[in-house]
Amino acid sequence: MFLFNYRYRLKCIFKDRQLMFWTFLFPILLAILFNLAFSNLSSTDNFVKVNVAVVQNQELDQNPAFTQAINGADDLFIVEYTTLVDADTLLKDNQIDGYIVFDPDLSLVVNQSGLKQTIIRGFLDDFEQSSATITTIITQNPTALDSGILAGISSRTEYLKAVSASQSNPDPVVNYFYALIAMTCLYGGFLGVKEVVAIQADLSAVGARINLAPTNKLTVFLSSMLAATTVQLLELLILLSFLVGVLGISFGNQLGYIALTCIVGSLTGVTFGACIGSIIKNNEGLKIGVLIGSTMTMSFLAGMMSADIKYIVMTKAPILSYLNPISLITDSFYTLYYYNTHTQFYTDILLLCGFILLFSAITYFVIRRQKYASL
Amino acid sequence: MVINVKNLVKRYGDLIALDHFNLAVQEGEVLGLLGPNGSGKTTAINCILSLLKYDKGTIDIFDQPMSPDAYHLKRDIGIVMQNVAVFDELTVYENIDYFCGLYISDKQTRKKLVAEAIDFVGLNDFKKFYPKKLSGGLLRRLNIACGIAHKPKLIILDEPTVAVDPQSRNNILEGIQKLNQQGATIIYTSHYMEEVEQIASRIAIMDKGKIIAMGTNEELKKMIKSGEHINLELLNPEDLDLAGISALPHIISAELRDHQLVIKSERGKNNLIPILDTLKAEQIAIGKIYSEPPTLNDVFLEITGKELRD
Repeated sequence: MFLFNYRYRLKCIFKDRQLMFWTFLFPILLAILFNLAFSNLSSTDNFVKVNVAVVQNQELDQNPAFTQAINGADDLFIVEYTTLVDADTLLKDNQIDGYIVFDPDLSLVVNQSGLKQTIIRGFLDDFEQSSATITTIITQNPTALDSGILAGISSRTEYLKAVSASQSNPDPVVNYFYALIAMTCLYGGFLGVKEVVAIQADLSAVGARINLAPTNKLTVFLSSMLAATTVQLLELLILLSFLVGVLGISFGNQLGYIALTCIVGSLTGVTFGACIGSIIKNNEGLKIGVLIGSTMTMSFLAGMMSADIKYIVMTKAPILSYLNPISLITDSFYTLYYYNTHTQFYTDILLLCGFILLFSAITYFVIRRQKYASL
Repeated sequence: MVINVKNLVKRYGDLIALDHFNLAVQEGEVLGLLGPNGSGKTTAINCILSLLKYDKGTIDIFDQPMSPDAYHLKRDIGIVMQNVAVFDELTVYENIDYFCGLYISDKQTRKKLVAEAIDFVGLNDFKKFYPKKLSGGLLRRLNIACGIAHKPKLIILDEPTVAVDPQSRNNILEGIQKLNQQGATIIYTSHYMEEVEQIASRIAIMDKGKIIAMGTNEELKKMIKSGEHINLELLNPEDLDLAGISALPHIISAELRDHQLVIKSERGKNNLIPILDTLKAEQIAIGKIYSEPPTLNDVFLEITGKELRD
């Protein structure tokens, strides 16, 4: 009976076009939209070199140290040597971010203030400070030059060491996709609702017919839930393959843990739907409405619409993150991708297992009865 | 005894849906359960099938107490529900196979039974059709096939012809009679008295949660005073002395509806002759005359004071 029902439930689920759209196609469409919307988001954080012009004149020729210094900062600047007139033109045409003139002091000409202009200003200040220091040493204590003090001035010692807490480079975009996967897991709730409705005599005519058959209701229900979870896992597998293979989203290389997250996430979604389906007695439309409403709210709080929301929730009301299955699933993927330890990951998975148990217990409590007060 | 229900009481809050309902169904009979909407027919069926909780009473099926986990009893029961209970995602064949599979685990046996059920309801040309592609009548036939494919000894049909065209209705009724001829005991609920009269060997009339009359078609009609309806078309009704007609022996009531004189008379011979004599004496010209026996609606009307139909 278990396998017989399982096979037919798989057929029913796969042939339900509306269900397949929401649980399978919709997340893929959203992923494509996210990819289109966020494809330039990462590149905005990349550093772009500053275009700067240096006016060629006699003063510049007399300061070869400056030419040497600015040429040496090729990881910061793209330098163009030109005349004052051309420099003005380039600045007006926004082809450079500013130009430097020795006249006789160093001066910077810009047409707006911003990060790039601040970088040029910082470089000039640093150069002037170093030049002034060297000049002072030469005039006041020329013998110090023999002890190699110049090398000490021109080089810097870092007393702080930057250690990355993550094994991957921070990428704000991946969180959107993690939240999308988490939402897809919870969309397994559609499958849960469908299975509960199909088995409850007070929710559907086919449910009444199944209740009248000489079969153990719990066996039928468990095989139906297994069919729902199977479909959900398949859909997730295809979504993950699409995200990794087509959109190039990184999930790190901990496949076993990712699979565990998907299985636990799917079970959370399916049992969540079953719970909603069993406790709401009205028509199927209301159940679906509640399911979509709650899933979208949880997705929002988990940062699917704006990454800042996740941060705000984490700092202002962290309890909400622990009570939000979508946030927990997102967090699981996030910790796998970024962190070297699994402490937070296991915490998330355990909390999700708690939710699965809670949803299952409520569902069982409602559907275990064999007679109904009304139909 | 196939079904034996004693003193069944079912309440929905203050509303009494079944009020000390009693029912005994013998093997091989077709029992028509007749009653207006809301009379408690479906509630009674759902209680008998252990789907609904009830407040009081006992229910035995095949002389054994019925309960939700009485699988050995459920195995021999087939139910055709009022609402079509099939999966939209499965074809005609798959639907029948699925519901038959809830009773029959052996694949070969099931295959044979499903083929027989499809043949029985005449859906051979629609095996691969999905329910949404079927007409209302075909859908009802599929609903019946899903309920009877496992060859049950007791078949309960709860208003299986609601919203079905006359041709499909006749097919369904003929099918039910065939099932009975094959040995199945049948309970057929309806609020269509013609259907019940056509197929039932015994009829129970329900109202307000209890059976108010029970017997064969003829037995029920004998329970009431009204034995005949006489209709006369009068060409000059303005000259009629209605009181004179009403005063004749064996006449229960007489009323004039436009040109029609409608008379209800007691059961008996020669009721028409005194009426014709009276009309002749009053020089009233007569058009068509016809007489018909009382219907189940008359039975219901006389017992409850209201029409059977909604």
